Amino acid sequence: MISELLINAFLVTIMLSIAIALIKTRTVIFTVILTSAYSLVAALMFITLDAVDVAFTEASVGAGISTILFLAAMAYLPKKEEESISSEFIPALSCIILGGILIWCSFDLPEIGQLTAPIHQHIAPEYIKGSKENIGIPNIVTSVLASYRGYDTFGETIVVFTAGVAVLALLEKKNPAKKNKSQPKRKIRKNA
Amino acid sequence: MHNNPILRISTKILFAPIILFGLYVQFHGDFGPGGGFQAGVIVASAFILYSLVFGIEAGKKLFPSNVNLILLAFGGILYGGVGIVSMILGDEFLAYNILGSSPQSGQHTGILLVEFGVGLTVSNVMIALFNAFSSYDKIKEK
Repeated sequence: MISELLINAFLVTIMLSIAIALIKTRTVIFTVILTSAYSLVAALMFITLDAVDVAFTEASVGAGISTILFLAAMAYLPKKEEESISSEFIPALSCIILGGILIWCSFDLPEIGQLTAPIHQHIAPEYIKGSKENIGIPNIVTSVLASYRGYDTFGETIVVFTAGVAVLALLEKKNPAKKNKSQPKRKIRKNA
Repeated sequence: MHNNPILRISTKILFAPIILFGLYVQFHGDFGPGGGFQAGVIVASAFILYSLVFGIEAGKKLFPSNVNLILLAFGGILYGGVGIVSMILGDEFLAYNILGSSPQSGQHTGILLVEFGVGLTVSNVMIALFNAFSSYDKIKEK
């Protein structure tokens, strides 16, 4: 129990320091690399919560491929971020208030792993039993993802497909018209 | 693109193991952590690594753009097709029980095919995105 606490405290400290470094840095490449590092620590955090599949996704998608895509998209950005925020007081205040509300609400959450929590009572027992009896797959995550929630995963696949087609439609013009030239640029800036 | 021998040789050594690991994650997702999304990203990262080191043109020669676009759409079609086939066989959309001799083997077949569709779409979207970003740069330079 105490070792788990120590590991969590260690990971949260790293995440906090990465977040502070992210606020401080004004160079775009450091922002991308720090975001990737943040994802990697988040993946470790998911492992301590025993969510190995989510950790795997976070490590491969969050820390891996999105970093590469950001770097590829970054070629169109200026090297340095402009100091545009005139007053830092209002954003800081709203962050503190929102964080305070979230922390206050978290006191009402059931303890992690508590069996009487509503989330473990609703439909999860049926999935855990059915995954073994009806589907015969040891990894419950896969049986929920591909079979019980097959429609959702179909939707996700179509979302990925649509996003890819949309980016291709924006960028893969053989000769971009001169008046439309600023349009794809703006889109990239929003993504990055 | 890069003349650094360490990069070139380590890419050549790593390329096949990365794809092998991707396939392992893809088809072992029923038993361990993994599945279509992760496997797709891992396989895509092997091709992106190749394009980064040897240049985008060599990457396109290794994995042609038109094959990439066809496979990108084929993943979604495979997923939807499994659902349609289960409908034709007399069950509901994406109900896999009817696909095999027993409900369990039907579920296995369905999940395997569906995850493969997810993996195909995800990996090819990632490769296509990377190619689009890199090639757009080249159009602008001209």
